[in-house]
Amino acid sequence: MDFQLSSEHLSLKESVASFVKKDHSFDRLRHLRNDPLGYSKEVWKKMAELGWMGLIYPEEYGGLELDFAFVMVLLEEFGRGLLPEPWISNVLLGGNLVLMGGSESQKHEVLPGVISGDLMITAAYLENDGRYDINFCATSAEQRGDAYFISGKKIFVLDGLSADRFVITARTSESVADKDGITLFMVSSRENGVKLTPLKTMDGRNACILELKDVSVPGSNVIGEVGRGYPLLFEAIDHATAGLCAEMVGGMQASIDLTVAYLSERTQFGKPIGTFQTPQHKAADMFIQKELAVSSVYYAIASIDEKTDERALAVSIAKTKCSSAYMEITKAAVQLFGGIGFTNEGDIGFFLKRAKVSEILFGDTDYHLDRYTRLSGY
Amino acid sequence: MKVSYSSDEERFREEVRKWFEDNTPSDVKDQTLGGSTLEHGLMFKWHKTLYEKGWIVPEFPKELGGAGLSETEQFIFNYEYSHCGAPRLKTKLVSLGMLAPLLLQHGTKEQQDRFIPDMLSGKTIWCQGFSEPNAGSDLASLNLKAVLEGDHFVLNGQKTWTSMADHADWIFLLVRTDSSGKKQEGISFLLADLKTPGITIRPIEALTDHAPFCEVFFDDVRVPKENLVGKMGEGWKLAGALLQHERLNAFPVGELIYAIETVRKNSGKTIYRGKPLIQDPTFRRKLAALEVDCNSLLYTFFRILSQLKIGSAPGPEASFLKVYGSELYRRVMDLNIEVLGPYGQSWYNLEEFDNSIHQATMGWVNSTSLTIWGGSSEIQRTVIATQVLKLPRK
Repeated sequence: MDFQLSSEHLSLKESVASFVKKDHSFDRLRHLRNDPLGYSKEVWKKMAELGWMGLIYPEEYGGLELDFAFVMVLLEEFGRGLLPEPWISNVLLGGNLVLMGGSESQKHEVLPGVISGDLMITAAYLENDGRYDINFCATSAEQRGDAYFISGKKIFVLDGLSADRFVITARTSESVADKDGITLFMVSSRENGVKLTPLKTMDGRNACILELKDVSVPGSNVIGEVGRGYPLLFEAIDHATAGLCAEMVGGMQASIDLTVAYLSERTQFGKPIGTFQTPQHKAADMFIQKELAVSSVYYAIASIDEKTDERALAVSIAKTKCSSAYMEITKAAVQLFGGIGFTNEGDIGFFLKRAKVSEILFGDTDYHLDRYTRLSGY
Repeated sequence: MKVSYSSDEERFREEVRKWFEDNTPSDVKDQTLGGSTLEHGLMFKWHKTLYEKGWIVPEFPKELGGAGLSETEQFIFNYEYSHCGAPRLKTKLVSLGMLAPLLLQHGTKEQQDRFIPDMLSGKTIWCQGFSEPNAGSDLASLNLKAVLEGDHFVLNGQKTWTSMADHADWIFLLVRTDSSGKKQEGISFLLADLKTPGITIRPIEALTDHAPFCEVFFDDVRVPKENLVGKMGEGWKLAGALLQHERLNAFPVGELIYAIETVRKNSGKTIYRGKPLIQDPTFRRKLAALEVDCNSLLYTFFRILSQLKIGSAPGPEASFLKVYGSELYRRVMDLNIEVLGPYGQSWYNLEEFDNSIHQATMGWVNSTSLTIWGGSSEIQRTVIATQVLKLPRK
């Protein structure tokens, strides 16, 4: 049992923290909210130059081949500053699916681009009427000769607006909610029949609706085995979820820091409002929630690193815990800031919105509790 | 990072688990959830069993009667102990859990030799005399007067909420030896034999219908001078060290896991509308949410254990373990009683129904006290706010 970070982990933490401090600010967020992409390509490029896209990828594709605790450290610092660059979707979803299921030639084609930051790739799997179920897939892929013809509609594709490629789920057999019969395909955003509708999320980031009308995809673009896409997607989303949880923990810590500073400065009735017990006890609860969330994330990350059977269970525990903790912390924080908390001039509100989006992303609390009961054999 | 134990630790865990499985008497084991209701005879017997095995205080070095366990082994031991369903051993919590470590650090050689061996064997049972009617959360306001007259302190006043006083032989006390300066500075730490003339003990009946604690009255009670621990006026400092120790051990996480596992097991056996209750959508949602919280707390202990391994002991931030643990335990007890349906209102009825029903209702009532004793949730939150988050005091 060891939840200690090594000096290498801590040194990454330090460099990410100083990067976030130097190249990012809440004013940058205020500006990017009005940008369709919601992030900056220059910052993305700088991050790639620092090697951060390659964190988990094997050295032969240009990666650093580090363990998942590095992912935790990196994302925690991103979360502290609410860095909006699309690291999770590219590295833990799109690229990760190619890494886990792709052929050698697919990996060589895609991963160096992901690592250099030049190729943007995300995953598209959510559909109307499926809520968060990743096995719900009405999008169909029909084989005609060497190619598959794909038709269907995906919603809230994470960071989809800037994607060059999508890894999409399409049904090659069985019926709409079956886990079997789902195949992963790599589709270019410029393919004929592909239509993107830009969306904004509450926290100012981008997503898209992806519609495919009889899009022709060569058989060589199938990732993994035909009809066996679900387990790959399940695992990649677990990785992305654990990563998101680490980001959420960073956001919780930052929210607490901002709130404690405000409570110590803001004076009413002749003294700092942090001297009153009602705000004190709210702040204590914020701290308690955060501590529990941190532990759940450590456990999930370590389960991924050790490849234990408990991975999926640990991820659902972490997501449940982090969703409620981040929401409770940011709601209390906005309340304690009072009026300024409800404005775009204050910073704390950005955390509230990110908490809500994070709660929904990769499945909300009901979804993960339900998943937990199934995995846990109720 | 690693989520599993080393093979040595795993072997130790298996040894401890097996020993408790084989050696914990069922009349002891089945009393756990009920809380403080284990009959004293059974408790002394259980104390003796552990003493003979050399496991009465395994965290102590071998030469002091312990088993010299490492931090991790200690955690494993405590976890397996309560996870098998063995109850908190009140015959040692106060003596070996609190006073003995304090005497080893601040007591004289004579005090150590005189008192610790009998704590180990269970021959002497200790109780803790801190709270007074007007000194609860504001402990420093305590007012049991001790005046030095020749070779003796003469004590007059009262203690209250003294657990086990009616079964104990000795009491350790915070007494007021000086009222002139700051209230924290006039407090001293004394050891007193409960058989000393002038001591009257009155048990207080709790909501459980048991009397787990007492009032203790002192009327011209003469305590020999050599029973002072540390120096005159050092009592507050010593109590702080001792309560810090209590805070770290204030929450047995293995017991929580035992409780939530019991809820899960029982809800699998309870039938509702033709199916196990655990399959009811509303119920399973509640159970899952609680299991998530219990697991997160368990992982938090793992995380703190990792910190202890590299020698960074948690300070006041450990307060959150007590707050969260006790509040969570109460929620688990809520669900435990909910499983029973109409039987959840049963009180005693030991002849008519299964013991587990009695344990559930008793445990639910008893859990109410967890957020009060050992530093109430309110006090702990203030500690977190002012000492961890450093919010201004004024």
